[in-house]
Amino acid sequence: MAKIIVVTSGKGGVGKTTTSASFASGLALRGHKTVVIDFDVGLRNLDLIMGCERRVVYDLINVVNNEATLNQALIKDKNCDNLYVLPASQTRDKDALTEEGVEKVLNDLATMNFDFIVCDSPAGIEKGALMALYFADEALIVTNPEVSSVRDSDRILGILSSKSRRAIEGREPVKEHLLITRYSPSRVEKGEMLSVDDVKEILRVSLLGVIPESQVVLQASNSGTPAIHLKGTDASEAYADVVSRFLGEDRPMRFLDVPKVGLLKRLFGG
Amino acid sequence: MSQTANTYDIKSASLDVLAFVLRSNQLDELTQALESRFGNRAKPSAAEAVVLDVAALDNPADLALDRVLSLLGHYGFRAVALRHPDPAYEELAHRFGLAHIAGQVTGGKAAVSEPAPASIPESPACAPTMIIDRPVRAGQQIYAKGGDLVVLAMVSAGAEVIADGNIHVYAPLRGRALAGARGNTAARIFTQCMEAELVSIAGVYRTIEQALPDSIRGKPAQVFLENERLVITALGE
Repeated sequence: MAKIIVVTSGKGGVGKTTTSASFASGLALRGHKTVVIDFDVGLRNLDLIMGCERRVVYDLINVVNNEATLNQALIKDKNCDNLYVLPASQTRDKDALTEEGVEKVLNDLATMNFDFIVCDSPAGIEKGALMALYFADEALIVTNPEVSSVRDSDRILGILSSKSRRAIEGREPVKEHLLITRYSPSRVEKGEMLSVDDVKEILRVSLLGVIPESQVVLQASNSGTPAIHLKGTDASEAYADVVSRFLGEDRPMRFLDVPKVGLLKRLFGG
Repeated sequence: MSQTANTYDIKSASLDVLAFVLRSNQLDELTQALESRFGNRAKPSAAEAVVLDVAALDNPADLALDRVLSLLGHYGFRAVALRHPDPAYEELAHRFGLAHIAGQVTGGKAAVSEPAPASIPESPACAPTMIIDRPVRAGQQIYAKGGDLVVLAMVSAGAEVIADGNIHVYAPLRGRALAGARGNTAARIFTQCMEAELVSIAGVYRTIEQALPDSIRGKPAQVFLENERLVITALGE
């Protein structure tokens, strides 16, 4: 039974697509057959982050409209064997997404023996975002440690608990996971940023992980490689931890404190 | 600071009144019916307010309204409004100092036409309490119509909880809470952790922009009306 996971936030620019790419890659690296779907119809980005933009021929909307088969539209990831990307359309808008169409695509993916279907939600609370979360079994709420992002996440959590199919059908609610991204312990220490505890206290959702603010993420995006593949970097390890925790393993939270810098390093720079 | 004290306030309020649904133009019949029903009742000291509903009559224009009003008055009813869907009756209502109601009168329990022993007071119907056990998130609104609202999880900033009765929040209250939404000034708000953005009782509201004093902020607290002023106090003091 394929598990449908939506990566959502309400607010834009908090790291949904970065997270979708690394999270889906992480699941695939652990041996799970995974597909990641870009729901940001009209503003597709996921294919860029995954480095497959030149291989996009057919997209989600083509499949919804029966203009292409799933097999034609699915792009096999260059880094992982078990990972496929279903890109969004650049030329259409979000009204092209219909509930029946999306349901059919998800059902067809489930029959193709995918273990995980990761839905990369667009920002906002309009059609595209609602379609991305409607069928979800679990949700990754991506939040930056600042008030407007936290407020929007709260709003999205409310929508998950009222407008998702699980909520409407009165089934077990969508399982919610909090993922704090762009976390900078030094700015938290200076009081410029909300702390992990602050965000947890406001949203009261179980914390899946914290991704530190890192130069690596920008490099990864520009090079079309999900950050989790950049071995040995903080962002890569943080995403690997997130995937492990999601799969039920116990991993201590890391990157919550300011790294101790030695005197020599401070004098001569790192 | 040239604020003068308001000489009046206009607030949302609702009033339970009886509807006196007239089914006959014949005043003799009406007099007889009223006499047999209420004739042996002691004349009440205060008149009961009623809405005179003439929508069921075939030709309400023929009704001798002055006589009906005095007849009702004799049996302890004071008509305050005339109900008929046709706006033409507004003029008639005005002439007798009555408000004109065109819309439907809700309620509809036949309190007058069904004879009930007057000595036994009706047991008040207990409005159901609405219980919410999931967080009320930003942008969500919960309204407990007619009764109390109990929220067992937090009410986020940007969320709104409303009740016609009391509101209990057994978690942090960070959003807006409006109790007594239909004018019940005795309604109260209780919370285990007071961090609300706005509280209101029966339309008297207060936005909480300045931080509350330490004795209340983040503490168990209640909100109630005292002499038309909102009072927020710590609980368990």
